Amino acid sequence: MNNNRVISFSDIDADWKLALDADNVFWGVVPKKVDGAFMMPDDLITLYQKEREHLDKELHDFRFNAELNCIYIDPTDKCNANCPYCYIPSRIRKKGTQMTGQELDAVLTKIAAHFKTSSKKPVIVFHAAEPLLVKGILFNAIDRFHKELLFGIQTNALLLEKEDVEFMKKRRMGVGISLDAPEADINNISRATTRGNGNFEKAVQAIDWFDGYEGLNVISTVTKFNVHRLSDHVRFLHKKKVPCVLLNPVRVTRIPALKLKPDQKVFAENLMDAVDTAMDLSIKSGRQIVVGNFSNVILAIISPSARRMMCDISPCGGGRTFLTITAGGEMVPCGEFIGSKEFSGGNIFDTTISKAMNSKPFKEIRSRTVEKIEECNTCDFRHICGSPCPAEMYARGNMYKKAEFCDFYKEIIRHAFKLIAEDKVKYLLRKDSLAYMQYEYQYK
Amino acid sequence: MTKKIKSENKKTRHSKKPSAVSYHLKCAKTANGLTHFVMYGDVPKKKMPL
Ligand SMILES: C[S@@+](CC[C@H](N)C(=O)[O-])C[C@H]1O[C@@H](n2cnc3c(N)ncnc32)[C@H](O)[C@@H]1O
Ligand code: SF4
Ligand code: SF4
Repeated sequence: MNNNRVISFSDIDADWKLALDADNVFWGVVPKKVDGAFMMPDDLITLYQKEREHLDKELHDFRFNAELNCIYIDPTDKCNANCPYCYIPSRIRKKGTQMTGQELDAVLTKIAAHFKTSSKKPVIVFHAAEPLLVKGILFNAIDRFHKELLFGIQTNALLLEKEDVEFMKKRRMGVGISLDAPEADINNISRATTRGNGNFEKAVQAIDWFDGYEGLNVISTVTKFNVHRLSDHVRFLHKKKVPCVLLNPVRVTRIPALKLKPDQKVFAENLMDAVDTAMDLSIKSGRQIVVGNFSNVILAIISPSARRMMCDISPCGGGRTFLTITAGGEMVPCGEFIGSKEFSGGNIFDTTISKAMNSKPFKEIRSRTVEKIEECNTCDFRHICGSPCPAEMYARGNMYKKAEFCDFYKEIIRHAFKLIAEDKVKYLLRKDSLAYMQYEYQYK
Repeated sequence: MTKKIKSENKKTRHSKKPSAVSYHLKCAKTANGLTHFVMYGDVPKKKMPL
């Protein structure tokens, strides 16, 4: 432990000053006086001294000792869409390797055996390219394994039918539906189908069928096309009873995506507006919608080990709390590495999950920490932002470069502190969940 | 010593602007499925913060 550590001070806005130990995310927000001066209360420093060691330990455990508990499976490399930003190279989507029912069975049997002694059921997410192209084999497998494993699915909804929705609800699956904008013309630019239109109509129909189901997330990838539509998107989805939307920055893992990157400042402003809209609607209607990726930032501050999206922490969750099995059986730390063969930790059909976890490429991803990245190593927000993402930065030439969306993260993290200071957290996390959370300490 | 947050909120609602805000929460249950960019497999039954 570094004994020369200090609390740093920075501005949140005109009203609040932030005191932060960047190494363990001990934070305090202090009101400013009219002249901008502030007073750091002595007893806040005493609190820091008291809590420092345990916060160090909590963050260290979460960064280095959290267990593998999620496996993404790409049951097919084929897709019925052709989104311009897709991180799966089109040569892979065209080749279209696909798992057979027997192969999927073998994979799930191996996974179930690997987790046999775990205290928690692992989560299996059918992810890419478009899992519903092989829904028959997926649903059979879910029926066989649902007692041992939890299941989720990510889809563009093009092939979704009403009875599929009933099945997913019955099996309590986590479901992600991709929809980028509240109107067809904008959405269908980035979510284009191979037939030349888009997924708008089908995705909206699917959302209607899910009818407020708790396990539904809408995933929106933010590009320069939809960046101005985020608030309206939240409004649209709230009307449709969607409980959670992710407004994810487009990863510029491939060159075509780079051209779609939104301006970071514009994105930050629109995301903050969308969060405000979500809070407003949730309060006025009594029915909640959360912007999941922003809620994750809130958690990273107030309860770091309760967050669930593991891109915004270093080392990231890839090859650590989750891994991806491709249609050909290769185990890679994260689906974002699907285009880079050198990151395979071995093939599930001829090696084990444990061996993959101990493989060189997995260790390499697990050793990418913010401490080793210039600028991040001195950034106050390094354990809130995490400098995502290694796959993206590797594709851009150097994994040890700071995040492509650095300025965006800085803005939204400051906004998160502001909302925490204003006591808005109760509107930003899922309703009732706070009742299950307990104070470890509170400054009074 | 830990307390449920709900009762705390009631208290703070009536107080003046605080001299500072600082707290740390622990989730009774950690999430199943610490995932990437997209979530998830674990359907919340009124227990997960996200
Ligand atoms: C790769 S798709 C696979 C599942 C399914 N075909 C779908 O579109 O939902 C999973 C999610 O990743 C998102 N995605 C694809 N390329 C991305 C990129 N370059 N940056 C950020 N998200 C991306 C998609 O928008 C989609 O929501
Ligand atoms: S639908 Fe999904 S897998 Fe298919 S091209 Fe679009 S993002 Fe990629
Ligand atoms: S990417 Fe930017 S905000 Fe994130 S840790 Fe690095 S310097 Fe800080």
